[in-house]
Amino acid sequence: MSSTLSALQEWLLSSVKPDEFAERDPKTAGVRFEALVPAAQIVAVATRFREAGYFLESETAVDFAECVELVYHFNRWDRAERCCVKVLVAKDGGQPGDGTWRAPSLWPVYKSADWFEREIHEFFGVTFTGHPGLKRLLLPESSTIYPLLKSFKGEPKGSDVEQSLKLIGEDAAGFDLNRKQSLTCKDRDFYLNLGPQHPSTHGVLRVLLHLTGERVIDAEPIIGYSHRHQEKMMEIQTYPACWPNMGRLDYVGAMSYNMAYALLIERAMGVSPSPRVEAIRVLTTELNRISSHLLWMGTYLLDLGGFTPFFYCFDDREKVLDILEMATGERLTYDYFRFGGLDKDIPAEMLPAIRAFLPEFTKHLKDYDKLVRKNVIFRKRVEGLGRLTRDTALSYGVTGPMLRATGVAADLRRTEPYSIYPQLDFDVVTAEGGDAYARYVVRVREMEESVKIVRQLIERIPDGEITLGKLPKNVPKGEYYSAVESARGTFGMYLVSDGTLNPYRIKLRTPSFSNLSSLPALLPGCLISDVVSVLGSTDIVLPEIDR
Amino acid sequence: MTPIPPVFEELIRIVLYGTLAILFVSVNALFLVWMERRVAARLQLRRGPIHVGPQGLLQTVADAVKLLTKELVRPYASDRFLYALAPVLAFAPLLGAFIILPLGPGAIIRDLNIGFLLLFSLANISFIGIFIAGWSSNNKYALLGSMRAVAQNISYEIPLMLSTMGVVLTTGTLRMTEIVAAQDRIWFILLQPVAFLIFFCASLAEANRAPFDIPEAESELVAGFHTEYSGMRFALFFLGEYTAIFVSSAIAATLFLGGWQGPLLPGPVWLLLKTYLLVLIVMWIRWTFPRLRSDQLMAFAWKVLIPFALLNLLGTAVWVSMRNLLA
Repeated sequence: MSSTLSALQEWLLSSVKPDEFAERDPKTAGVRFEALVPAAQIVAVATRFREAGYFLESETAVDFAECVELVYHFNRWDRAERCCVKVLVAKDGGQPGDGTWRAPSLWPVYKSADWFEREIHEFFGVTFTGHPGLKRLLLPESSTIYPLLKSFKGEPKGSDVEQSLKLIGEDAAGFDLNRKQSLTCKDRDFYLNLGPQHPSTHGVLRVLLHLTGERVIDAEPIIGYSHRHQEKMMEIQTYPACWPNMGRLDYVGAMSYNMAYALLIERAMGVSPSPRVEAIRVLTTELNRISSHLLWMGTYLLDLGGFTPFFYCFDDREKVLDILEMATGERLTYDYFRFGGLDKDIPAEMLPAIRAFLPEFTKHLKDYDKLVRKNVIFRKRVEGLGRLTRDTALSYGVTGPMLRATGVAADLRRTEPYSIYPQLDFDVVTAEGGDAYARYVVRVREMEESVKIVRQLIERIPDGEITLGKLPKNVPKGEYYSAVESARGTFGMYLVSDGTLNPYRIKLRTPSFSNLSSLPALLPGCLISDVVSVLGSTDIVLPEIDR
Repeated sequence: MTPIPPVFEELIRIVLYGTLAILFVSVNALFLVWMERRVAARLQLRRGPIHVGPQGLLQTVADAVKLLTKELVRPYASDRFLYALAPVLAFAPLLGAFIILPLGPGAIIRDLNIGFLLLFSLANISFIGIFIAGWSSNNKYALLGSMRAVAQNISYEIPLMLSTMGVVLTTGTLRMTEIVAAQDRIWFILLQPVAFLIFFCASLAEANRAPFDIPEAESELVAGFHTEYSGMRFALFFLGEYTAIFVSSAIAATLFLGGWQGPLLPGPVWLLLKTYLLVLIVMWIRWTFPRLRSDQLMAFAWKVLIPFALLNLLGTAVWVSMRNLLA
């Protein structure tokens, strides 16, 4: 335990006097300690964490009969020191959403709390005092349901459609077709909805831009268009039935999400897969990272108006997909890992295919990079654009290549090693500047690092079983947290198990969610052309944000 | 037989040449769209249209039929009259360019003494059409696109004109036939290389082609000024764009590449060959470069092209006066 953490812990125990405090084993629970603090103290605790260099990795809630428990996870960039702080919000006979369930907002300390708290507000009905605007985040504005409360049993069958139509009608009621002026136009500024039907938002994202001419004054991302409530879905499913959900969060880089779920349940059950399984998991995950970054590279240049690179990147991506298809039978929404093993072993022709692909791809990547990086228009368009400072990144909980582009070597594969990553030789890629160009450099070099990992692995995939046989169907009672480095950043899963066949609560901490929430800090001062460019450089996947 | 009154003779000429020009423009645009798609495919590891007709040549004909049969959707809150007028206004003036294009010795509809100045004046009318399109659609993306188009047009008009002035100074005429005739020994691309480059860049921008296609930047403004247009109205903008590329390439070929002059083959064939070569380069550029940002585009016109065009003009003027003094 580092000195910062022990100092923090000492301060917590002596000054805050938590109602409960327990040190936990980070190998299974994923956190160093859990502390239950009085609601009034949480802002002071968060401030202390922020001053010590921790970011708010996730903020969520769990519903119990008498209270709603708010769960905060703080973590560091440079080493894995996740700490869990909890606050109880008593129900006191109040109704969800009526303002009786109250807790102080962390928004003054961490900007990332903005979206986390809006989500808790709409799913649990908790009101946060001091929050700048507690409107719905993922659900329609007129929604009256609080789906993650255990008292919510779902609408009776048959009325779902009527209910949706009613909600849509209510949302559309305030819209006047004949109104020629939109919103409030002051002198020369106006509002522009970028999306949800726009070619460059990479999914159904809407960004409400406040513009003067073509220059952005303010921007607000509006999300929730592809919300499916995966967390609720997983609550009512058995553990194995949740596997397909993992492929449908970030469909571009789904292997990492498989990895996180496998880690979570294996840690909880106290089992570990065979070395062969671990090697194949890392192999497929890294190949998937390559295909994810390739897709980003192609579409990002498309955003900048370069159509042709898109085809070249997709050509190579197709080859990666072909290889992954051999193992998984799927090309996109991978559902390949199992608890303690894999769905099936890799076929004999897969390794030769990878061997043939790697040198070819390395050469292509070098060519593409040279063509793109030496293009003066590209350089002029991206250099210095959408500059993210480390302080902003900390405040918004930004992770992944976006964070590494600010020069921070934060990569969970190194800082919180899982699977066989400690045995592999690869570098954590960083770049200086925090701008769109730095993000480009980081992602391209990460592909090279992934190639390096794959090259090491194909030579030494050990023999072994690819399944552990029969495992119990339930997970021991307790709380677990697992996190992996996906192609987009830190993907964390928080599980509360009550020992039954279904998860009591699963929170999906998705990287794009926090990365996108930093957009209002990046966009002001940009031109519309740059909005598209900055948005592209964040490499978001909307279904992962909306869940 | 009584002679036909000159008014009717003129009318017949207008109808005849007009019909021929429209026919050529339509067929040419269909061909250029096919060519664009094949060139793009070649650059992008694809094959492009190959199934409809020989080498997919009829694909664009099929597309045109589809566009013709489509419903003309008009946005609820648009300006009815201007919305319908805009595509016509954007396309029609470009036809006027064919008046002054010399296809061969004596093969020109009207050999005007103001030559290509007429063409540039007409091209500006088509920009008014584009502006009206963006304005009347009552769509913010369309309005932004047309605002960009106007700003771009005004900026790039200047280097475009200045670069041609080098040629005008050398020949001492604006008449297209005389400019071509003056290139019988040496093409002006060799005498005026800087002017040619400036003309080429500026004409790319005038035709809204990548990397200067910011008025219709599809990744930013959805489709720019023609976002709300569908069916044949959209096709008219499309026709206009390809005609503009063809016309500016043809003018470049006439001013700098010796026009219809060349050995063996007849004049019109030479002109078409040179024009299509330039069009090919235009397409090649489009599928190679990313797009400039609007402020960078302006900076390029005002800080690079215009100063160089002025310097070139000054140099040419000095050279011409020296030549005249010595002669």
